[in-house]
Amino acid sequence: MIAQWLFYGFATLAVLGALGLILFQHPMNGAMCFIVTLISLAGLYALLSASLLFALQLIVYAGAIMSLILFIIMFLNIQATDLPEEKGRWTFLFGGILVIAPIGLFLLKVVKTLPQGETSIIGQDFGGVKKVGMVLFQDWLLPFEIVSILLLVALVGAVVLAGKKEMAS
Amino acid sequence: MILDYLVLSIVLFCLGILGVISRRNVFTVFMSIELMLNAANLAFIALSRLHESMDGQVLAMLVMAVAAAEAALALAVVILLHKHTGKLDTNVFSLLKG
Repeated sequence: MIAQWLFYGFATLAVLGALGLILFQHPMNGAMCFIVTLISLAGLYALLSASLLFALQLIVYAGAIMSLILFIIMFLNIQATDLPEEKGRWTFLFGGILVIAPIGLFLLKVVKTLPQGETSIIGQDFGGVKKVGMVLFQDWLLPFEIVSILLLVALVGAVVLAGKKEMAS
Repeated sequence: MILDYLVLSIVLFCLGILGVISRRNVFTVFMSIELMLNAANLAFIALSRLHESMDGQVLAMLVMAVAAAEAALALAVVILLHKHTGKLDTNVFSLLKG
């Protein structure tokens, strides 16, 4: 019962944060709202008994990626006059809703055909480091290595992009 | 119920698409893409709980790693474009046409 109420609380917070992200004019306010969404998603992961993903969501997403984005937003020192003028914003928003609504309803219909399952917390280290690590390093070893190569490429790419202006000057 | 989690994930995904469609600020568009990735992660983890297997959680971890790489590269490009043109408009990215 408590889990149900916690779910409704976290879900409301997540949707409100996402709405704030797409409605606030300044990216700083949007980023703050998005952090609320990410933290409530971490709570939902905990309710789904994915304890490792709960920690990773807080550390990697709400911690590392969002602080990087916030750092860049503050680094660029964006004033209200620097923001792009978004004249057709509401037009695009309502047109977007018209386009997205059929897709969303279709996905809802698809989801309703899935079997129903309980979300009660299961023990036996479900979602813990050991079990997820075993699956990751046995069944998903090749994708894991490919992701490591992707991270290396991103690292080299960031260094190249950052070093370019020194060569030009 | 698993269905509620999946419905929430669909709602978040649609909000992310709406953000990409309706906004022109680079940072907001970028964070909307992150929102879509998070919605997919929620669906993965809910289905992993439904089938009681770890594969969905492993996939969600891989998605997080891809999102981290994407954040590093996208923000580097945004900083370079902002230095170049002084704008945060997504229309600036039409400069990147080959």
